[in-house]
Amino acid sequence: MSLLAETVTVLLNGLQQGAIYVLVAIGLSIILGTLKFVNFAHGALYLIGTYAGLLITLKITPTGGKLADWGYTTLGLGWGFLPALLIVPILVFVVGLAMERFVARPFYDRPDTDQILLTFGLAIVVQEVFKILFGGQSYNFARPGWASGQVGLPIVGTFPEWRLYIIGITATVVVLVYGLIEYTDFGLVVRAGTRDAEMVELLGIKLSRPYLMVFGVGAALAGVAGVVGGPLYAVNPNIGTEVLVPSFLVVVIGGVGSISGAVLGGILIGETLAVMVAIAPQWSQVGIYVLAAIVLLARPQGLLGAEEVAP
Amino acid sequence: MSDEPTETPDATDETGSVVERTQRELPSWERIRESELFVVAATTLAVAIFPWLFARAPVVSGVLQGYQDLATLILIWGIFAMGFNLLLGYTGLLSFGHAAFWGGAAYAAGVFSAQVSSSPILIILAGTSFAALSAWILGFISLRRGGIYFAILTLAFGQMAFYMALSPLAWITGGENGFTGVELGKLFGVFQLRYPVPGLDWLVGTWKYVLVGGVAVLCVAAANRILHSPYGMVFRAIRENDQRAEFVGLNVWRYKLMAFIISGTFAGVAGSLFTIYSAYVPLSSFYWTTSGEVVIMAVLGGVGSLFGPILGAAIYLYVENIVSGVQQLTLPFTGPNEYVTLVQEPVVLMDGFGAYWHLILGLVFVAVVVLFPRGIWGLLMDFGSAVRKLGGGR
Repeated sequence: MSLLAETVTVLLNGLQQGAIYVLVAIGLSIILGTLKFVNFAHGALYLIGTYAGLLITLKITPTGGKLADWGYTTLGLGWGFLPALLIVPILVFVVGLAMERFVARPFYDRPDTDQILLTFGLAIVVQEVFKILFGGQSYNFARPGWASGQVGLPIVGTFPEWRLYIIGITATVVVLVYGLIEYTDFGLVVRAGTRDAEMVELLGIKLSRPYLMVFGVGAALAGVAGVVGGPLYAVNPNIGTEVLVPSFLVVVIGGVGSISGAVLGGILIGETLAVMVAIAPQWSQVGIYVLAAIVLLARPQGLLGAEEVAP
Repeated sequence: MSDEPTETPDATDETGSVVERTQRELPSWERIRESELFVVAATTLAVAIFPWLFARAPVVSGVLQGYQDLATLILIWGIFAMGFNLLLGYTGLLSFGHAAFWGGAAYAAGVFSAQVSSSPILIILAGTSFAALSAWILGFISLRRGGIYFAILTLAFGQMAFYMALSPLAWITGGENGFTGVELGKLFGVFQLRYPVPGLDWLVGTWKYVLVGGVAVLCVAAANRILHSPYGMVFRAIRENDQRAEFVGLNVWRYKLMAFIISGTFAGVAGSLFTIYSAYVPLSSFYWTTSGEVVIMAVLGGVGSLFGPILGAAIYLYVENIVSGVQQLTLPFTGPNEYVTLVQEPVVLMDGFGAYWHLILGLVFVAVVVLFPRGIWGLLMDFGSAVRKLGGGR
């Protein structure tokens, strides 16, 4: 393979890797930006999305955990991937609504540390529930048949089709959410609430419902990320926290509350990972933290973060 | 012993009875309890009888099913959690990256023991210095942004330490296998750590425990001194309202950094002791779950009190090591039992109970965060003062 082809392949891989982080990070970022709520349980939403996606897409045999002990030999609906891609975001959206109503809302007035501790505890509980039910081992989330092959691309030659789908799905979802926040009345209220919640309420606009929606949309995005990211890695109870830390970095790099910041940060992190894997695999994971440290020292509010909005 | 002004009636009362109290010959019980000498003496006593009570005392140890090594481990994690609490409970900063100092110290201590000297005291000093230094660097970067960011950034840079140890530094750390070459010499060149203490064998067990226990008492004394000094007062002022502390003219950022370094140093002491304890450094000591564990311990036991986190560490490790081995949860004193047997047939409440230990800890943790922000230690304190009120006391 020529150097050019190799470079393009690496960049495409980075884009795909970044896409997952973008989806998770946008949710984190808009929730943090508008509601000033730190959600350490966002990874748990990703986890729920992945397992739900797995169960809707395929029929699996539990190989460990209580479900196997209770005698379930086949689980799941086996409806295929597209239904999962539609149902899971709705499901996780509902979970997100419940979470806002019963977990986040009572804690809006408590200190930040309490919010973090609560969501951290919740993340542990969700992770443990999945570990107990399905066992700690990994499940194989097979890619859908229509997308498991290689596709011919100019310059590159062949490229795994699934990775292209991930980039495409992510781009679509990001554009939708961006439109929702930037070009609708709902988005206007949310953005106004981010700037000055008190003023918006004084104008007679109730913010509790938009806030609920923001939390739900953010959760749904994590669900989408879980479904499209599931087939890339082995599915086990730890994936939630594994995706959470890089996503936090994306938020930090991009700037809180900024969708374009999350996209930029996600792509940067993904590309850094991919390039490092290609040239110095030992340092690949360390690279993203160094990147975050550099951005932080040079521009503490994040690349596209506005100083006055960030908490 | 709690440093929170828990008993408000006391405080209002105190102003009124100052004259009377200074004239009295003997200081009041509250005074004694607050004094440094008492705290250190009580800690020493507790540390000395703990392994006996936990592992060898009749009845008590039978019910608890503790063992010597777990007592040592509890003290080590207790130091870690206590130091962590200086940051969370007293300065109000939540760090999710303390694994970096615990693990860093553990590795530094291990490498030092293999390369330089195997004297346990020097090993501890080396590990602790390394942790303090890394806390300085990490704190400098993480404190660039306040509040929420601090937790995220410490988490991120803690993970960075993990990945550093995993592959780029694998030639030192041993990568995934952990560091196996720990060399342990004699304490002060005389006492072999794994040998029992002559004459006091029944009470404290081995020299290893004496070393860990001695360091633990020193740590409690140091933490107590810091918290009761004007310096520690500033930490509390920052927790209550850092803006106001800034307006008074304090350099809040520097105090926060110092609190972070102090707390990292305690984590370093604990991490070095862990290397001595296990003669091995697992890679997981750098993983973020280690940071998460110490967060759980501190919050569970009770932030904002000196001894709460140590209690939290004891509870966490007890559940992790003893309760997780329980196959069936039965009603107490049903089934065959050494001391009291009510019914021969055990009344089983839950099968395979041990497997749920982590879930149960998580649920209890969430309950504590929501309902009792002062933790189990705070609950005990409230309970104690309620009993005293019932008894007619103040």
